Amino acid sequence: MFTNFFYLLKAKGLDVSTTEWLTFIEALDRGLCHGSFTEFYYLGRMILVKTESDYDKYDIAFKEYFYNLKSEEEVPPEILKWLDKGDKTTDQLQREMYEYKTAKDANEVKRLFKERVNEQDSEHNGGNYWIGTSGGSSYGHSGVNSGGIRVGGQGGLKTAFSVAGERRYRDFREDRVLSMRQFQVAFRRLRQFSTKLDVPKTELDLDGTIDSTCNNGGYLQLEFQKPRKNTVKLLLLFDCGGSMYPFSSMCNSLFQAVHKANHFKDVKTYYFHNCIYSHLYKTAECEYGDWVDLDYVFRHTDKDYKVIIVGDAAMAPEELLDVNGNYRGPNKGMSGLEWCRYFKTKYNKIIWLNPKRHEGLTYLAWMESEEVLSKEFKMYQLSVKGLKEGISYLMSPKK
Amino acid sequence: MSQTTFTGTQKYIASPELMKTVDVAVALQKPLLIKGEPGTGKTMLAEAVAEALNKPLYIWNIKSTTKAQDGLYTYDTIQRLYDSQFGEEGVDDIAHYIKLGKLGEAFKQEEQVVLLIDEIDKADLEFPNDLLWELDKMEFYIHETKETVKAKVRPIVIITSNAEKELPDAFLRRCIFHYIAFPEPEQMAEIVHAHFENLEDNLLKEAMDTFYWIRSLRDMRKKPSTSELVDWIQALLIGGIDPERIRKELPFLGVLVKKDEDLELIKERQLD
Repeated sequence: MFTNFFYLLKAKGLDVSTTEWLTFIEALDRGLCHGSFTEFYYLGRMILVKTESDYDKYDIAFKEYFYNLKSEEEVPPEILKWLDKGDKTTDQLQREMYEYKTAKDANEVKRLFKERVNEQDSEHNGGNYWIGTSGGSSYGHSGVNSGGIRVGGQGGLKTAFSVAGERRYRDFREDRVLSMRQFQVAFRRLRQFSTKLDVPKTELDLDGTIDSTCNNGGYLQLEFQKPRKNTVKLLLLFDCGGSMYPFSSMCNSLFQAVHKANHFKDVKTYYFHNCIYSHLYKTAECEYGDWVDLDYVFRHTDKDYKVIIVGDAAMAPEELLDVNGNYRGPNKGMSGLEWCRYFKTKYNKIIWLNPKRHEGLTYLAWMESEEVLSKEFKMYQLSVKGLKEGISYLMSPKK
Repeated sequence: MSQTTFTGTQKYIASPELMKTVDVAVALQKPLLIKGEPGTGKTMLAEAVAEALNKPLYIWNIKSTTKAQDGLYTYDTIQRLYDSQFGEEGVDDIAHYIKLGKLGEAFKQEEQVVLLIDEIDKADLEFPNDLLWELDKMEFYIHETKETVKAKVRPIVIITSNAEKELPDAFLRRCIFHYIAFPEPEQMAEIVHAHFENLEDNLLKEAMDTFYWIRSLRDMRKKPSTSELVDWIQALLIGGIDPERIRKELPFLGVLVKKDEDLELIKERQLD
């Protein structure tokens, strides 16, 4: 059954809806693939996949489904029907136009094939040139070019390509739970409007207009006011590397959500490794020396910056408590905890988002640091719910 | 089924997949969502489609303050209030103060039009959701005049996005999607040739090599795009620059690269 392809796509992590699937079937029924396998591939992709980052998943599912059909008999009858459909005369024109490259003369194809065989020295899948599977080359099989030579091939081989695809799928699952859109919606709450800005008065002031109109003896007198602007400034600190690695895609979503939310007055982002010390790194790679002094950050921000620290607060106790605990840079005479406390003195509102918050568990060594830090900072789970709670604290008037 | 086929225009070089996608969107009467790096010609696509199919083009430019309602119609209450104070004619006719937006205008046309909703991701997060019904049914209701505006012929809707914001699922499900990949050098040469007649091969090669070299630098904040390359070649031509000097001296680099950090970065790397 052809429907299996639908389930395969879903199993590969593509969230195809029934409506989209029906649209695809409708398109096929109307002969929009013009009897060509190449166009069949693109038709499916344009209707079923809605972001370029999912193209790969579609390719993998497509390959797996059609690659594993060992003979023509196994090709679902629906597909044969669709591929046979259409008026051949007008079709031929269309097909030629949409061929991956313009249709090659049969002899030319043969000649190039020989040449290519001589040149080729390894397995090639997915490209546009070499003989292999699933690419756009005229040679090989399971590809998307219908004007070439089929080169043998039995199904069942699992290539590195599809294995890699499956790993991608797992990452994807994680950020589906907390999709970027959900983060973006949550960040919309982080607004503090002010009219004390130096902009022209462009918004109708309703109360003012009513007052003026009354004073004007009932004749309309319009009053305008300055539009309100969000004045929230944000300082983001990300814990990078080590134990944070499994959460990188989640942190990435959060980071993207903040940077795509263009309603903040200012956003500054720095990185740290495990704990805040005298330096903050400029990039997520946390390379030695590629940093700024904490005092530099202090000078360039004021106390009104809302601070969001993202980290798992998991580290060896001495990294937090020992005055020589920073194994990647100088401690400058203070322990990590003291640096954290020093950091706290500067800002009014700080929250800590923890991707794996363990509440009330302190019996493991690396949780000790979390326990200590959760007493210093308002700590929330890094989830949409936690972010909402954290943001409502950031926006609340009380300290 | 209308047999409209889009094959690009003289100035607009479309990939075969893109042409195919346009045709399917037209045939299935679904909005076509186009994503891609800035400068890959998303907006130009709508112009090219309108030109190739010989249909009028309506452009609705989206800004951060745009509301869905703006595209349908606006009711100019203040003007009406003003007019009523001075007893102007036609005050009793609300329809006088209803102004159709771009979507409304497109619906009102007798013949099929191409409607471009440009940079939909600039607007508020909920914006696309507010247009679901209108784009599905191609109609909307004007409360003030109790009138329903319904498209006589469904417009060809093209929507572009720079992916600044994630679009809602419900909206995506209704669209046909295409991602314009950054052109390979081969296709890029074709695009450049479409803009300049009789371009010297040597100049093109040097300019393109430099262009792709700059794009390949790791820490570039903003990679130059197709439209910047076209502008740059224009500048090189006007300046009468000897192709040999392009890679060494990087003349008119400001046309290609806009950020100070990037300019410095290129100069640094060039010395390496």
